[in-house]
Amino acid sequence: MITDAQRFQPFSDEPIRLIDEGGAWLAPFSCDLDDDTLIGLYRHMVLGRMVDERLVRLQRLGKSSFVAPSSGHEAAQVGIAGAVHVGSDWIYPYYRDTALALAVGWPLVDMLGQMMGTRADPARARQMPAHPGSRALNMFTVASPIASHVPVAVGTAIAQKLAGAGDATVCTFGDGATSEGDWHAGLNFAGAQGAPIVFVCENNRYAISVDLQHQTGSPNVAAKAHAYGMPGYLVDGMDVLASYLVMRDVMAAARDGLGPALVEMTVYRYGPHSSADDDGVYRASEEVAAWRERDPIPRYRRFLEGRKLWDDAREDELRAALKAEIDAAVKASEAAGPVPVEWMFEDVLSRPTPQLERQRERFRAARRAAGEDVEG
Amino acid sequence: MAVQNYVQTIARTLMEEMRRDERVVVLGEDVGKRGGVFLATEHLYDTFGPDRVIDTPLSEAAIIGAAIGMSVYGRRPVAEIQFSDYVYPGFDQLVSQAAKLRYRSGGAFTAPMVVRMPAGGGVKGGHHHSQNPETHFIHTPGLQVVYPSTPNDAKGCLKTSIRGEDPVVFLEPKRLYRALKEDVSDDVDFMLPIGRGVLRREGDDVVLISYGASIGETLKAADALAEQGISADVIDLRWLMPWDENLVLERVAAVWRVVLVSEAPHSGNMMSEVAATIAEEVLDMLEAPPLRVSGFDTPYPYAQDRVYLPGPNRILHAVQQVLDY
Ligand SMILES: Cc1ncc(C[n+]2csc(CCOP(=O)(O)OP(=O)(O)O)c2C)c(N)n1
Ligand SMILES: [Mg+2]
Repeated sequence: MITDAQRFQPFSDEPIRLIDEGGAWLAPFSCDLDDDTLIGLYRHMVLGRMVDERLVRLQRLGKSSFVAPSSGHEAAQVGIAGAVHVGSDWIYPYYRDTALALAVGWPLVDMLGQMMGTRADPARARQMPAHPGSRALNMFTVASPIASHVPVAVGTAIAQKLAGAGDATVCTFGDGATSEGDWHAGLNFAGAQGAPIVFVCENNRYAISVDLQHQTGSPNVAAKAHAYGMPGYLVDGMDVLASYLVMRDVMAAARDGLGPALVEMTVYRYGPHSSADDDGVYRASEEVAAWRERDPIPRYRRFLEGRKLWDDAREDELRAALKAEIDAAVKASEAAGPVPVEWMFEDVLSRPTPQLERQRERFRAARRAAGEDVEG
Repeated sequence: MAVQNYVQTIARTLMEEMRRDERVVVLGEDVGKRGGVFLATEHLYDTFGPDRVIDTPLSEAAIIGAAIGMSVYGRRPVAEIQFSDYVYPGFDQLVSQAAKLRYRSGGAFTAPMVVRMPAGGGVKGGHHHSQNPETHFIHTPGLQVVYPSTPNDAKGCLKTSIRGEDPVVFLEPKRLYRALKEDVSDDVDFMLPIGRGVLRREGDDVVLISYGASIGETLKAADALAEQGISADVIDLRWLMPWDENLVLERVAAVWRVVLVSEAPHSGNMMSEVAATIAEEVLDMLEAPPLRVSGFDTPYPYAQDRVYLPGPNRILHAVQQVLDY
């Protein structure tokens, strides 16, 4: 629901949307974004899609061991990213946030390095693919255990409040994550503290094979915000303008000291849960096809075309430019080569324990005895 | 006898037990329609329906806690934790509730239940799909812990666990799920006794002790030793709590040299306990100190997935040390 005062209303029954499937503007107020911003949102969505498709191919070629496809989530993720003040706000993403991570400025080569586990990964290839993180961007390193980052994000937001600098945190997760105890612990604490944090659920209706009806008895995820004393916004996460503008408002409110919010973005994942999944077992191909019809990227392109901001020539130019960027990043990541074996022993603590030092010595001796180069 | 791999054996054993005893229920993430992300519960949902094969919300606390509550009420739950790395949100339920229930109620309440979880490395899964958490559980009195290494053992140990009277943490070496097939007993009452290990190979120069997925590397090392004319005993502990002290002490006392292999982080792992018991009981029979070959005291790495695991080279190096001692 949208009022004339440009305020988005929490706890609506229907998702907030600003453009329809044909790309026509729906709201009773006019769109206040300049052309560069509007085009930037599109560029980031296409970048996210093209990278996702490349990651899927790299995995099939054996150049990456895993991928968590993000196609279908781009509008939500780019909308979230647009509302972040990069460098001062903090971001707690989850593994499917490819488009989000790129849109806040994570360098492509870092991402490819992470995905391919090469020396190009600033995190030293410590984690499996789809685990972004960047100190420079205040983007917290993803951990696989679902929802384990939620209370951590709340701690950062409380620290931001203590610092009084007017910064905020955004924390993303899937619909399945809302069942974990950590999720509830985090939202409850944030509500009690009035912490400057926005929780965003990218609700694609499935947690691997488990559909939303088996996940919760709540009518939707946004409704859960009631219990924690914060507003819950239900947003069409395949509408990039709704995603962005709602996020812009709630992040601004958090920075202004008005406390936390929960935003549910309804999306759909076009691919399987991951490269290890077979989604045909639990969802019908017709269902996937129906959601493909509502693809957020062509939908937004129609909006831009209606404003004479986009056409085929620009599309071709954009795709060619992005392809060249992605190709270069893949090349650079591969050229960086594998990480040294002995990096395995570093960064456990600020200084290695004597126990670990001894284990490392014995490891070296065993490798020498076997005639293998210790440095791998 | 049917030739089956490990994960098929789990699914078929669950099928048999659910047919035999209608109190048995299966619950966990994706165990229903999907048949489990590894297919360890394949066909159960189609056969028994959503009341006995429950696709749970994404909450390990809910899965394990609810399994305890069902068992208290007379059901025989077999809970699946998708990866042992994800047991921690449910750890409190296992440690604080399940493990202490019989004790704190003076035997009035008990939790006969099984918590299955794929464990171990070598699957390029990084630190949250590769860990070996057994120490947490063996260090929690009131839990039984088993880590079978072969399909046939998995069948016998799973039946024993489901039909037992106490909570069992049932660890499955995921990198072996499809790696090997063997003849599996088709006896619907095939049970392997709690706490009993097995001698996989008999030799008289050195005893190699291991369990779970590392049995594979340990047997490879034994093959390589055989080529050098060194004969190794290989003990598969199978059960980690209770574990087979008799078998271990008897073989070590007969062979005098021992190397212990576990892919869990070195400090405080299962083999620390086995080595300490050997030292306490049969130190005077040893020709060399017991040597452990383990994972390292680091989180499980991604890029060095295979190097982290104690492979044949590291096992051989340790054997050489105890032989040269
Ligand atoms: C604590 C924990 N339990 C189980 C898993 C295994 N797992 C990985 S992703 C996933 C489903 C997550 O679904 P959702 O939160 O809806 O996010 P989506 O993948 O749909 O974006 C599960 C069960 C995990 N990573 N962490
Ligand atoms: Mg989901």
